[in-house]
Amino acid sequence: MKRYDLIVVGAGPAGMSAAIEAAKHGVHVVVFDENARPGGQLFKQIHKFFGSKEHRAKIRGFVIGQELLDEAAKLGVTVELDSTVIGLYQDKEVVVKQGEQVNHYKGDAIVVATGAAENMVTFEGWTLPGVIGAGAAQTMMNLHGVRPGNRVLMLGTGNVGLVVSYQLKQAGCDVVALVDAAPHVGGYGVHAAKVARTGVPFYLSHTIKRAEGTDHVTGVTIAQVDSHFQFVPGTEKHFDVDTICVAVGLSPMSQLFKMDGCKVVDDRRKGGQVPVVDDLGQTSIPGIFAAGDVSGIEEASSAMIEGRIAGLAAASYLGFATDDEERAGVDANERALDGLRQGMFAPKNRGKKVEKTEEGIPVSQTLLERGYVADSEIERFPGVTHRVGIHPVIECTQNIPCNPCQDVCPKHCIKVGSHITALPQLEPDANCIGCGLCVASCPGQAIFLVDEKSEPGFAEVTLPYEFLPLPQKGDRGQALGRDGKPVCEAEVVGVKRTKAFDHTAIVTVKVPEDMSMRARFFKAAPATETD
Amino acid sequence: MGTRIAEHPILGVPQKGRLVSFTYDGKTLQGYEGEPVAMALKAAGVMVHRYTAKRHEPRGIFCAIGRCTDCVMVVDGVPNVRTCMTPLAEGMEVRTQYGATAVPFDAGEKDEASAKDGGAA
Amino acid sequence: MKDINDRTRDLGPFEPKPGDDMVVCRCEEVTQGQIRQAVHDGLFTVAEVRRYLRCGMGLCQGQTCARLVKGIMARELGVSPDELEPASSRAPMRPIEMSVFAKEGGRDGE
Repeated sequence: MKRYDLIVVGAGPAGMSAAIEAAKHGVHVVVFDENARPGGQLFKQIHKFFGSKEHRAKIRGFVIGQELLDEAAKLGVTVELDSTVIGLYQDKEVVVKQGEQVNHYKGDAIVVATGAAENMVTFEGWTLPGVIGAGAAQTMMNLHGVRPGNRVLMLGTGNVGLVVSYQLKQAGCDVVALVDAAPHVGGYGVHAAKVARTGVPFYLSHTIKRAEGTDHVTGVTIAQVDSHFQFVPGTEKHFDVDTICVAVGLSPMSQLFKMDGCKVVDDRRKGGQVPVVDDLGQTSIPGIFAAGDVSGIEEASSAMIEGRIAGLAAASYLGFATDDEERAGVDANERALDGLRQGMFAPKNRGKKVEKTEEGIPVSQTLLERGYVADSEIERFPGVTHRVGIHPVIECTQNIPCNPCQDVCPKHCIKVGSHITALPQLEPDANCIGCGLCVASCPGQAIFLVDEKSEPGFAEVTLPYEFLPLPQKGDRGQALGRDGKPVCEAEVVGVKRTKAFDHTAIVTVKVPEDMSMRARFFKAAPATETD
Repeated sequence: MGTRIAEHPILGVPQKGRLVSFTYDGKTLQGYEGEPVAMALKAAGVMVHRYTAKRHEPRGIFCAIGRCTDCVMVVDGVPNVRTCMTPLAEGMEVRTQYGATAVPFDAGEKDEASAKDGGAA
Repeated sequence: MKDINDRTRDLGPFEPKPGDDMVVCRCEEVTQGQIRQAVHDGLFTVAEVRRYLRCGMGLCQGQTCARLVKGIMARELGVSPDELEPASSRAPMRPIEMSVFAKEGGRDGE
């Protein structure tokens, strides 16, 4: 048997952050993870994160994951992989399956950061091969470079459903529809909008009636549901698909807390059974802490902060940090955490329908019901203004904690202000130089550069583009509107990729003058020769 | 291998091990050493990993992270191997699992008794 | 919680519903109908249903179906899922071969 100052269960964002913070104070830490590689879900997160600088905003999840591992290695944190914790007991005794045997460990403090498991729904045919969890899709395409399918239907419009739909398109899959039984899109509007503008239709108040196929999925039938979630007869729609992806929420994997006798409660706002914890993440058993999704479903950004707090609290509990050090560190982290828990999607607003922004502007109903802001609604948001010459049009219409646009502009044209959830707007004396940094940096891909009259009769729209093949200067095709439907002919007049853009290309298209506020995506004309 | 991503807009060209041969129900297939067996099968277009004990229904990859155990197969003679967690190695013998063995069910027979002894702890 | 185990309560007769043939526990192939029937037969707690039907006792240890089973039982009992005590959590938390489970590393463990 081995004894450690601190045992961390789970090498995801929360667990690694806890281990790093504790190790910084000289705590002897071991992290156990059942997987073959550390990092939890971070290495499947290929989008840029929301938040501000202190939350590592606009950095992609897998890059953050690598940074965490590097930092842990530098601090001498031991990460034991293929190590499944199968038991945790009151006296901080940890039983771990490692290889072909079971080993016992003792920790003087424990941080449990086991994360979450995917929820499921049942429908006829849901056990057929080809029906998969959204996490499975991410694992296949983002970790192993294998497409989950060619034609995919996504069930669930929470952030996972939206982000994975976008990633499926990036992997070259055809997403035929996004379906949700709820009447409104559950995730961030900007995540919905960047999927909708590529032409994926949204079916809210719809759910899957059956998956079809004998040995594997060959099709799916969806139908509308009423306010009691009962199918409305005659509303069935069929799609030929080979894959059905399910993203209907996550549940904390809190079984270890129940096993060791910590007090647990059922809390629907936190996603299920969670341990009762104080503001440091300490459970009802002193010295046993919880961090990340296991103590309530949130984002990876908040999991990392919770991990840091728990690691610091564990260090203090073990006598490696003074009360003052603990207080100062915890205060700073709690401020960062508070920042992330603001706005329309804050945990306190979960399940509520927010009708107006903090600025008092009515939220776009089309966004909630169909995934995009209608042309008739977009002009009422403060980031959308008309100027002479090139200028950013910021289609950020919900209050979310995010401000890279403000930090990144070299000319300080964009203002969010000190209140991080405020809708960004253009400074009155903005002097845009058209560098495109805001377009590439916006984690929601909601910023476009528009020159409403680049030459007589024409306008230029610069948009973010993260798909292959990348359009080339001179390519002709169609401009698509926010709804993903063609609005006009378009010609690519510029494509820019730089290191600072971090794999987000910016593509400039020339469109008729009256389309400058409508054209928001480019679709190349189908190639004539086979490739 | 039509379902492999040749180049990804964010992740670039996937980094893979060396190409190795393995067998699936006796047929020789290829995959990359060290990737999960399930990924090599998926890339080769295999959808059905097993047929269930009671209802003889097909199952395949479901969670892909070792939780659901739906993707288990008989690998090198050992049943109930989670193919999504097992790294592919040269010469591996992978077989479709029927109930808890690699022996196909007799056609038409759905046996309640064969549901026992699924191998769980 | 006490109301849930009140065995004098009348749930009415068991009536077959569409979807009863649908598998809920993927590992042990337990259907919605079997779970509903068990509740009508007097098994009002998740632990009882789990022991009787084995839903949640298969290879995955209820990772996928625990929440679904709870939902079906709650609907049948006419209560909120939050009011149902989930099944207990015990080691081992993940499937493990008996031969491995028996092989203690290092010191002889309890």
